[in-house]
Amino acid sequence: MALVNLTGVTPGTWDVIDTDSAPREGAAVAVPLARLADEDETFFKAVGSVGAIVPTDAAYTDLAPLANKLAFVVIDFPAFGDGRGFSLAVRLRKDLGFKGEIRATGPVIPDQALFLKRAGFDTIDVADDREAAFKAALERFGAFYQTDFVGQLSVAHLRHSKTDSSDKDADGERKAS
Amino acid sequence: MYAYDKYDHAITNARVAEFRDQVERRVKGELTEEEFRPLRLMNGLYLQLHAYMLRVAIPYGTLSANQMRRLAHIARKYDKGYGHFTTRQNIQYNWPKLSETPDILQELAEVEMHAIQTSGNCIRNTTTDQFAGATADEVADPRPYAELIRQWSTFHPEFSFLPRKFKIAITGAALDRAAVKWHDIGLILKKNDAGEIGFEVLVGGGMGRTPVIGKTINEFVHERDLLSYLEAILRVYNEQGRRDNKYKARIKILAEDLGAEEYARQTNEEWARIKDQPLDVPAEEAARIKSFFRAPPLPVLPDDVPAVDELEKKNFLFKAWVKNNTNPHKVPGHVNLTISLKPHGGIPGDATAEQMDLVAALADEYSQSEIRVSHEQNLILPHVAKKDLPAIWADLDEVGLGTANVGLLTDIIACPGLDYCSLANARSIPLAQAITERFDDIKRLQDIGPLKIKISGCINSCGHHHAGHIGILGVDRKGEENYQLLLGGSGAEDASKAAILGPGFDEHGIIDAVEKVVAVYLGEREDGEEFLAAYRRLGPAVFKEAVYGAR
Amino acid sequence: MAKKITGPQMIVANRLLDGRVVFMRADGSWSTVAGDAGTAEDEGGVAALETLAQKSAHANEVLSIEVIEATIRDGKPFPAHMKFAMQATGPSVRTDLGYQVSPNWER
Ligand code: HEM
Ligand code: SF4
Repeated sequence: MALVNLTGVTPGTWDVIDTDSAPREGAAVAVPLARLADEDETFFKAVGSVGAIVPTDAAYTDLAPLANKLAFVVIDFPAFGDGRGFSLAVRLRKDLGFKGEIRATGPVIPDQALFLKRAGFDTIDVADDREAAFKAALERFGAFYQTDFVGQLSVAHLRHSKTDSSDKDADGERKAS
Repeated sequence: MYAYDKYDHAITNARVAEFRDQVERRVKGELTEEEFRPLRLMNGLYLQLHAYMLRVAIPYGTLSANQMRRLAHIARKYDKGYGHFTTRQNIQYNWPKLSETPDILQELAEVEMHAIQTSGNCIRNTTTDQFAGATADEVADPRPYAELIRQWSTFHPEFSFLPRKFKIAITGAALDRAAVKWHDIGLILKKNDAGEIGFEVLVGGGMGRTPVIGKTINEFVHERDLLSYLEAILRVYNEQGRRDNKYKARIKILAEDLGAEEYARQTNEEWARIKDQPLDVPAEEAARIKSFFRAPPLPVLPDDVPAVDELEKKNFLFKAWVKNNTNPHKVPGHVNLTISLKPHGGIPGDATAEQMDLVAALADEYSQSEIRVSHEQNLILPHVAKKDLPAIWADLDEVGLGTANVGLLTDIIACPGLDYCSLANARSIPLAQAITERFDDIKRLQDIGPLKIKISGCINSCGHHHAGHIGILGVDRKGEENYQLLLGGSGAEDASKAAILGPGFDEHGIIDAVEKVVAVYLGEREDGEEFLAAYRRLGPAVFKEAVYGAR
Repeated sequence: MAKKITGPQMIVANRLLDGRVVFMRADGSWSTVAGDAGTAEDEGGVAALETLAQKSAHANEVLSIEVIEATIRDGKPFPAHMKFAMQATGPSVRTDLGYQVSPNWER
């Protein structure tokens, strides 16, 4: 597996633990959301940091009570066509104010790299032989029609902003001043 | 018309390059077909029975003469010399090669066109009134808003993998020519008491195996809030729409499950959180886009044109053509002219490259270089001076485009059906051909009056049979083609679902049944009463008796 | 294949590069002519044909493989059902343009 870094975060490393195995003391652990919902403070105190492994069918409201206790979130796509994962990331950033790393796992495809980035993901777990394709896909588009929740303004805004680079462009179709 | 700026060009060109790369990766085997399929679908490339099929977007059904010429060129160079205009105001090519589709997309990009999101579980081409901006009866031109939606929905980072396809339609006129109530989201332009422009918003319309008419969730959303409001609707759908069963994945099912009120509540709750984010475009951008759709500078001309009257007296078919194929323009002395793509015995919606070229030339000469595509699969010259009608008619008639049947029984909507479509149960096109041959008499058609027949080759309802005054649905009966007859649907402002009349028929039986239904109507109608009104008054029983009585 | 086999079966697919309908010969190669298709009448034979077809799909030559029922006409197989018969002949409309007139895809 390779890790594609979308945002330049320092990616975390962690133990993945399942529904009933015990965490190593002081370790960073990734835990299924369903289990985390049942754990109390002692669990959070016993480990170094906690992240949630979130299935795409989770409601973002299930994450709300946990968000400020989590260091990172792993959104696990069962299929690349499951677009709920994108909304989950958007909700984490937009509504829950989550600042930690959001990682995508599962069979996402290179052609989704920019969508993932713009929805709020920081990193993607990818098969080694796909890494290059993911990186190439990130370079594909330089302008976007939507304002997103991670700081990209839409083309509609850029067209009318002072810093619109089109003034300098050779095509000269746009405003002269 | 909207003209691309450098951003639009850059995005469209990047898409072409991306698709070229995807095709190369597929051919080399770096992408499996399972992975490639949704990618090609998002560029409008299907695999059909005989070949690939490429669906090219005609955003909100508006195109220039130049763009039409490019469509003709593509038909000649990459296909078999024709294309099929669809109920979604797009065009489909039936024989493109995978290896050549990147070149086709490149040719399209050069004339500011694309095939982006013409298929797949994403937001599709926004459709609208074919007479938008040119008709006497509208509140405002819907096209600037459709363009706003086009841009916002293109490569949306969050809404490109929805539970299912998503279709938005807008009407600016009280007479709904865009079937907005049958769309996932329907938008009706309105003015509030303060004279501001906004939209009544309907959610959850759709056809397929569960036909549903959309329900209003907001009486007035201000035009400046349109995109953030749509974003709220889409977020609720993306999160909660069903993904376990593709027949239950459309927003119509979620909206029924939640109820319109709850859908409205959740939408409003989400919208309250996002409406102050810069999701909507700045006022300057709204103004910029609107400026592309300014009404063309047409001179006010007399509505009485003696030359037209003269020819009408001499030539009945011309007279019928003027009567049936024109709609009042907002500038006196002008009309919106509909060119019927429904020649009797022909294939509804098909046009040859030569016909496309002629329409382009006529648009240059007589209609400000503008052309429209209607959801009823016809082409429109929106800005024609009445005095030019005789010359235009002569040109059209020569290439088989002079049929005077717009809005009449033979102006049939038909999907490709089993002749092309791998999902079909039965053929649609030969049925449309047979019906138009049976009713090949303009006098009789005019006597019958407005009557919409809509044919789908399977329950997916691409031919809108649920919304047909007479709907015909192809089914598979033990391996044989069989057709069900439905009556009483409407896609207009008085939208209604057609109801199945009784058992199905074979191809000959269904044509006889249509004939009997028409006969009942002619016998029972009151003065000036149109088919749909008569059906609504009479109910199905008399029709059933006439069609099945003897069985 | 869960479907019960009641008669000869053949395999149809589309060529990856141009989408052209093709029928699989007994040796796993592809023909634009339905009559060239290899057929099988029992489970083992059909499975063997399918394996060959899958191999070709994995080699990115074809897609959309279907095992379909065949009827034998003049000693040659032809798709039994209308939908697949249409794949062999081209659409029933615009017969001036279908496979009827351009079996090798010239435009
Ligand atoms: C030939 C290839 C085509 C295929 C494979 C296809 C497939 C489908 C499918 C599967 C649906 C149902 C979607 C659902 O209910 O979730 C659908 C709906 C629809 N199609 Fe097509 N279609 C094709 C061609 C066309 C054409 C040529 C038109 C226009 C004439 C068209 C217009 C529509 C429309 C308007 C709907 C929406 C009905 C609704 O609201 O449910 N399609 N199509
Ligand atoms: S209604 Fe059915 S047969 Fe007709 S085009 Fe749509 S999917 Fe194909």
